[in-house]
Amino acid sequence: MSRLPLHLIIVGIALLWMTPAFGLLTSSFRDAAAVANSGWWTAFQTPFDFTLENYQDVLSQNRMGLSFINSLIISIPGTIIPILVAGYAAFAFACMRFRGRDALFIFVVALLVVPVQMTLIPVLRLLTDIKLVGTFPAIWLAHTAYGLPFAIFLLRNFFGALPRELLESAYLDGASNFRVFFRLVLPLSVPALASLAIFQFLWVWNDLLVALVILQDPSKVPMTVTITNLVSSYGTQWQLLTSAAFISMMLPLVVFFALQRYFVQGILAGSVKG
Amino acid sequence: MAEVRFEHVTKRFGDVVAVNDLNLEIPDKEFLVLVGPSGCGKTTALRLLSGLEEITNGNIYINDSLVNDVPPKDRDIAMVFQSYALYPHMSVYNNMAFGLSLRKTPKDEIKRRVNEAAHILGIEELLKRKPRQLSGGQRQRVALGRAIVREPAVFLFDEPLSNLDAKLRVQTRAELSKLHQRLGTTFIYVTHDQVEAMTMATRIAVMDAGVIQQVGTPQELYERPDNAFVAGFIGSPAMNFFEVTVRGDRDEMYLDTDTFRVAVPSQKVSLLVPYLEKKIIFGIRPEHIHVPEYMPSGIVASPVRARLDVTELMGNEFFFYLLSGNKQFLARVDARTTAKPGQDIEVVFNMDNMHAFDPGTGKAVLR
Repeated sequence: MSRLPLHLIIVGIALLWMTPAFGLLTSSFRDAAAVANSGWWTAFQTPFDFTLENYQDVLSQNRMGLSFINSLIISIPGTIIPILVAGYAAFAFACMRFRGRDALFIFVVALLVVPVQMTLIPVLRLLTDIKLVGTFPAIWLAHTAYGLPFAIFLLRNFFGALPRELLESAYLDGASNFRVFFRLVLPLSVPALASLAIFQFLWVWNDLLVALVILQDPSKVPMTVTITNLVSSYGTQWQLLTSAAFISMMLPLVVFFALQRYFVQGILAGSVKG
Repeated sequence: MAEVRFEHVTKRFGDVVAVNDLNLEIPDKEFLVLVGPSGCGKTTALRLLSGLEEITNGNIYINDSLVNDVPPKDRDIAMVFQSYALYPHMSVYNNMAFGLSLRKTPKDEIKRRVNEAAHILGIEELLKRKPRQLSGGQRQRVALGRAIVREPAVFLFDEPLSNLDAKLRVQTRAELSKLHQRLGTTFIYVTHDQVEAMTMATRIAVMDAGVIQQVGTPQELYERPDNAFVAGFIGSPAMNFFEVTVRGDRDEMYLDTDTFRVAVPSQKVSLLVPYLEKKIIFGIRPEHIHVPEYMPSGIVASPVRARLDVTELMGNEFFFYLLSGNKQFLARVDARTTAKPGQDIEVVFNMDNMHAFDPGTGKAVLR
């Protein structure tokens, strides 16, 4: 019973946090006039004027299907490649000994403080010079680079917590570093990998800035860019924006709920025994 | 043939010298136990042999081949770790087969070896289980099995019994000894528990602060320790030490603490003459201190009066904690003794079993 005040506070904060999203959801079921003239909370008074036409309008846009596929093409490799690269690097940092290891690790993690915006022009120049700009590989490279500091940090701490004797036993059994990484470390790190996959997927799926800068071809842009364009081409049509936002949210929500038990584990990963 | 040789092996971690000029020869089929307190360098020495640590100086030979630069997997050794280090996501069978499959051993050969090892260790019904479904003792057997299937030249053990409860430890000690006899392979075993060393070893190497103190059979180390450290480390409960002055002359010599004196047997007098009127460390084991009514016959008994402080009944004997002046010492006496704590009693020291050590160097004097 003594935990009741704590629970009430937590539920209260959760409700407060969800209010804007709930408002957005409600607005997505209201027509343009209602959205322009009254607050979303008034939708719950009579007359109840909910409609599905916003969703119909958004989904019938011929760009939406294509940009959904583009989002997938960008997000899936944009999640897998950073995890693999970070995995290799984290394994070296955690389990191998070489000169300058600790200094290099600190340098990589320190890159977390660099704002993405500062790097956009140099990155764009570089991609133009190597003639990759506007292609999917370019955006995969960019998201890999941006995602690596955090991914390496998380995985290195998790790998470092694996019992050293386990790896030594494998070395004695005849395993190379490669074998140890693929047959031992990766299978034992599924919680950390899954939570990293969620972080990275959400970041890439919801990204607007990097896609806008690097992918200039309209046939390659993801949903985030297409939704933004909805506003500019049709004026301030909030009702379309709200429904498009919720459509865009669906896939990440599915990913999150599918992997959510790893998410909590992942937050704690590396928080002890750093 | 699996002979192991350490030649002037030194290992430094920064400024810390973990292993200092280690020289040790281990012949084929020997069960050698490296024993010593925590931090003495015994595990480091084992890891240097396995190749998991790099040597700073010196050479290690396995069967006369220099192995300094040979990677662990090519040294023909197998290691059992203190924490067993079983692969948690693999079944017992796959844990044991892992090393063999890495070396591209044919599947039926793997099956034969795993089943044979499982049979020796009595774990045949556990082959399909995962490590988390096993008890501590079962996990330990799987770790042993994983080493056995490799059919190595040398087995290395790093405190494998430390995580077992006391009863299981006693049981497993006997099984390890039997396994050694059955396999006929060189065993090199590291432990901080001198009881394990005494019960299982062909020879024991006692280490302290990175240096070998003495190598010998359990009997040799017990009866003729080279220095005070070995004397105090081997034997449980530990030897009693007294700081004494040697007094008297060649005809009648005795050791004088401030509160009692004991006579030196005639055959040991000549070795103590250089220490007349000087201090030495006098050592006597608790099992060589008796109560007069139950002492063995025919011993050179030197009586000592002391206050009985605490008694502990072990079932077959008493541990008597005795106080003479402010010096406490321990005696193992017959269980029928009726003395009670607080009483002043007389005990006898069996001086045939006395030990003496130089107070400066700690080295044994009576050798």
